[in-house]
Amino acid sequence: MSALLEAQDVTRVFGSGLLGAGRTVAVDGVSLVISEDTPTITTIAGESGSGKTTLARLLLGMIQPTSGEILYRGQRMKAMDGRARKEFRRQVQAIFQDPYEAYNPVYKVDQVLQTPVRKFGLVTSRDEARQRIEESLRLAGLRPEDTLGRYPHQLSGGQRQRIMVARALLLHPRVILADEPVSMVDASLRATILESLVRLKRELGISLIYITHDLTTAYQVSQNIYVLYRGSVAEVGSVERVIREPKHPYTRLLVSSIPLPDPDVRWGGEGDTAARAATPNGPPRETRGCKYANRCPYVMPECRQAPPPLYRTDDDRAVACYLHKDSPPVSGRDIAEALAHGG
Amino acid sequence: MASAPPQEQTSQTSRACVLEVQDLRVSYQTSAGPVRAVNGVSFFLRPGERLGLVGESGSGKTTTALGLMRLLQESAVIEGGQVLLDGVDLLGLSDDDMRLARFATISLIPQGAMNSLNPMMKIGEQLRDTIRAHRNGTATTSTKRAIDARIQEVLHSVELNTAVMDSYPHELSGGMKQRVCIAMAILLNPKVIIADEPTSALDVVVQRQVMETFRRVQEALGAAVILVGHDMGLMAQFVDRVGVMYGGKLVEVGPVRGIFKDPLHPYTQLLIKSLPNLQTKEDFRGIPGLTPSLLAPPPGCMFHPRCPHAMPRCSVDVPVLSEIETDRWVACHLYDGGRP
Repeated sequence: MSALLEAQDVTRVFGSGLLGAGRTVAVDGVSLVISEDTPTITTIAGESGSGKTTLARLLLGMIQPTSGEILYRGQRMKAMDGRARKEFRRQVQAIFQDPYEAYNPVYKVDQVLQTPVRKFGLVTSRDEARQRIEESLRLAGLRPEDTLGRYPHQLSGGQRQRIMVARALLLHPRVILADEPVSMVDASLRATILESLVRLKRELGISLIYITHDLTTAYQVSQNIYVLYRGSVAEVGSVERVIREPKHPYTRLLVSSIPLPDPDVRWGGEGDTAARAATPNGPPRETRGCKYANRCPYVMPECRQAPPPLYRTDDDRAVACYLHKDSPPVSGRDIAEALAHGG
Repeated sequence: MASAPPQEQTSQTSRACVLEVQDLRVSYQTSAGPVRAVNGVSFFLRPGERLGLVGESGSGKTTTALGLMRLLQESAVIEGGQVLLDGVDLLGLSDDDMRLARFATISLIPQGAMNSLNPMMKIGEQLRDTIRAHRNGTATTSTKRAIDARIQEVLHSVELNTAVMDSYPHELSGGMKQRVCIAMAILLNPKVIIADEPTSALDVVVQRQVMETFRRVQEALGAAVILVGHDMGLMAQFVDRVGVMYGGKLVEVGPVRGIFKDPLHPYTQLLIKSLPNLQTKEDFRGIPGLTPSLLAPPPGCMFHPRCPHAMPRCSVDVPVLSEIETDRWVACHLYDGGRP
């Protein structure tokens, strides 16, 4: 029952400016736990401005939290020495949205695979390096003979994205963070790439953090989901609870806004269509109360007084909304831990 | 090679339609030779209907849409075909006449439309320009007051405050900019609006709100819409009919329910099965194989190398888009003798 990767009440503020002008709280007191014992896929979902990419960068150690801690196998990221940090960078890998941008067009794709092998000194000979690269390509569903020796433009978008998966696998990571890995990909390929991500979990025991705005694919691949709104967790729980029976007015709006590929299901037919059309423009203003209050059709006076805590409405779900104040309040860390350990 | 023989066109023209595309062919000139991006596309559009044009990248959907409006980049050559809008062939118009036809009779909401606004110009000025440029066209409003009245009316119809006229694009949110683009597209009461992935850059909540507004103004105007995109969910929720493109050709055209519930073409069948839903988990059905190279297209049916039902003749004869049942068009040899 220990955590592999953990965020403890993490906050990240951007921009300082005198008198706090231009100050943006991108991530606001978020806790998240990835279990060490059971490989899982955890979704961090949100729209633009939700803070999901900032949270991803915090989890990868690319930026430091303003307050709170990121821990890897119980070790505080801030306190890691060079060696521990290097080991962390090997064990926690990332796959990004646009595979094309990760490539240098004048080098063969072999280079993106050889560099990490060399950098981490994982092999002792050329043959061993080649073996390791070919093994990773196969695990990512590619034939080495179709991919090695080619230039990025000679490969399809799907192949390029899979090479990024292969690259992550080279280092035998424990965790892979995938930031919108299929948002640039066509429908027929999307399924294939998502399938390979699920296979990493199932067959190699790698845990994944899936960052997306797309709740449909989140439902398909993941077990747990954190729905972020303006940097805070609005709702967190198993995908069965959160996506199939959303409780937070914001999650309900998100789910009802999904255009389902079924002409018999009416778009937004059920849900909070009454939510204010006014969508946030520019950096979010800081509010005393619930950040969703200005858009919420159920807003009550208390929503403007103080931000709502998480209320544990089910064993496997908590909602940051006063509509559910009859349920017991729970700390972000407690619900994150309960979910990570199959609570 | 002809994929649209004359008898088929006759059957299409016998219906009331506002737009009719016949055997459209577009090539891009590349250093490796010509690429047939659109290879004999024929379809029609009924007044007021919403037609979706779906396909993967490289299928030719955007080239078809831009080709209709003659807005293709310089390396593209329209090699043949007709685009009949109320009986007038847009491909035969002079450049000046085509310029006047744009916005006035056929308008476009381009891909990444919100970035198509001029960042240096206030919204009101951009909308006024659109009207002024067409003074000789069908819209005859000419005084500034009349022009502004029309602009205010249209902004109101897309649920924007008329104060946005004094704003620059960067002062507006993505959804608001998108509404400005819709306003611009309907400003001159066109008969056909082409929308190329109009909401792909927007979050789902804003997407739904913008598309609801778009549907409402389109219905009020009675304009027909061609929605180009790859988001099958959006298609299911927005259009009346769907045309599925593959390798530069239309492989299937039919009513939206038919396409989603009873797809005919093997490619459409696999595409529909590959879509994620909120019922199944960890059940992935991608389409094996790769999209065809347009530089060296396979002989016969473009889909045959990936098709689970491929027969010997599929790699020889190009299947023709034919109406096998009322309103159900498919280009596949499985239906040579009607539905099997």
